[in-house]
Amino acid sequence: MLLASFNVHAELAPIPVLQHRVTDLTQTLSAEQQSALEQKIAAFEQEKGSQIAVLIIPTTQPEVIEQYSIRVAEAWKIGREKEDDGVLLLVAKDDHKMRIEVGYGLEGAIPDLIAKRVITEIMAPSFKQGDFYGGISKAVDALIGLIAGEQLAAPVKQNGQNSFGDLLPLLLVGGLILGSILRAVFGDFFGGILNGGVVAALAWFFGVALLIALLLGIVAFILTLIGPSGLGQLGSGSYSGGGGHSDSWSGGGGGDFGGGGASGDW
Amino acid sequence: MKHLVLRFLAVLFVLSLTGCGYNTFQSLDEESKASWSEVLNQYQRRADLVPNLVNVVKGYASHEKEVLTQVADARSKVGSIQVTPELLNDPEAFAKFQAAQGQLTSALSRLLAVSENYPNLKADQGFRDLQAQLEGTENRITVARNRYIETIKNYNVAVRSFPNNLTAMALGYKAKPSFTVENEKAISVAPTVNFESK
Repeated sequence: MLLASFNVHAELAPIPVLQHRVTDLTQTLSAEQQSALEQKIAAFEQEKGSQIAVLIIPTTQPEVIEQYSIRVAEAWKIGREKEDDGVLLLVAKDDHKMRIEVGYGLEGAIPDLIAKRVITEIMAPSFKQGDFYGGISKAVDALIGLIAGEQLAAPVKQNGQNSFGDLLPLLLVGGLILGSILRAVFGDFFGGILNGGVVAALAWFFGVALLIALLLGIVAFILTLIGPSGLGQLGSGSYSGGGGHSDSWSGGGGGDFGGGGASGDW
Repeated sequence: MKHLVLRFLAVLFVLSLTGCGYNTFQSLDEESKASWSEVLNQYQRRADLVPNLVNVVKGYASHEKEVLTQVADARSKVGSIQVTPELLNDPEAFAKFQAAQGQLTSALSRLLAVSENYPNLKADQGFRDLQAQLEGTENRITVARNRYIETIKNYNVAVRSFPNNLTAMALGYKAKPSFTVENEKAISVAPTVNFESK
């Protein structure tokens, strides 16, 4: 029994690693076509936050396209966490089958029957004529149009978030600078207390829990007493560490799928 | 002195609960309930589609009485089963629920197979839309069932393995029923009916 199930798993079509929004294992799309699609989807992701991924593979055998597609969706986790606004557009070229797998959060924007229409009315006619790029590109346009009308959380802008992790280096550096000024004006002890109070109040103001804010204040007080020498480097080091994410795609955002969408063939 | 002993025993008891899987049961139990309600949700969605589907088919193929009655009967049987949370802890009721859903699955696939013979029906946009919705729902059911099987597997392993099974026995946590392989096959094969004209 165990052996049998192991064998079944060994024969399943592999799931490619998610590196780009458009993954073509069949060399169907030219490099320009791929990057054109990629750019279109990336621009939409930036504007709306939803993620679309395109995957073209030779075959999903021995599974049917639905089984393979949900495995890919579960592995890639496209769409944002909690929003679950990812869409996977899967083409199994040699099987002559395609599927649009819709994340939980978009089942309202792209109901099954609409996904079905995108497949039968947009993709299938182009695919029949061998125009894979045209079919996929128009389907992506249609999906973008459908998602655009949906009320979703705004995309997360870089630096737009006041999460504790982002705040900490700022507080550290700010606290050290403020601390040295206050210390020069008010003396070691009172400068330290003032600085600790300001840091705690700021942290609390930005939504950090009161107890942790107080702890931060005490840390700031002690650091001010000791003086910034040697600690300044630590602060600036951790600060520059946060600025690494420029334009590279970080992959799926953690979206969940429940089997919504539609399949078709050509 | 007596107080101290009692307190010690109380602490020991609490520690034994955390060490013997009590918390694991809690979270796995919740998880299985959540995945179960997703299964129910999708079955309900399918049941809701049936009346519309039957109506559309009737319009083009009213003399296919046998199949239409079968679907209607299976649908009302599914509707008549009281789905309570206790269903999960009662293997017999669970089997009955499964049988009823399986019956509806096969009746629906027969209905769709029959409708293949009616070109006008197949061309009807309303029918095509219902068809797409039914396909999507069947697929969601499959996904939800697989996830349920997975959570139940985790839960049952936790309940049955030592030393958790002692805690489970003491607190009345029983292994839960899962979908059997036979009807798993029946369900994954039957409903795939292709309506793209060929």
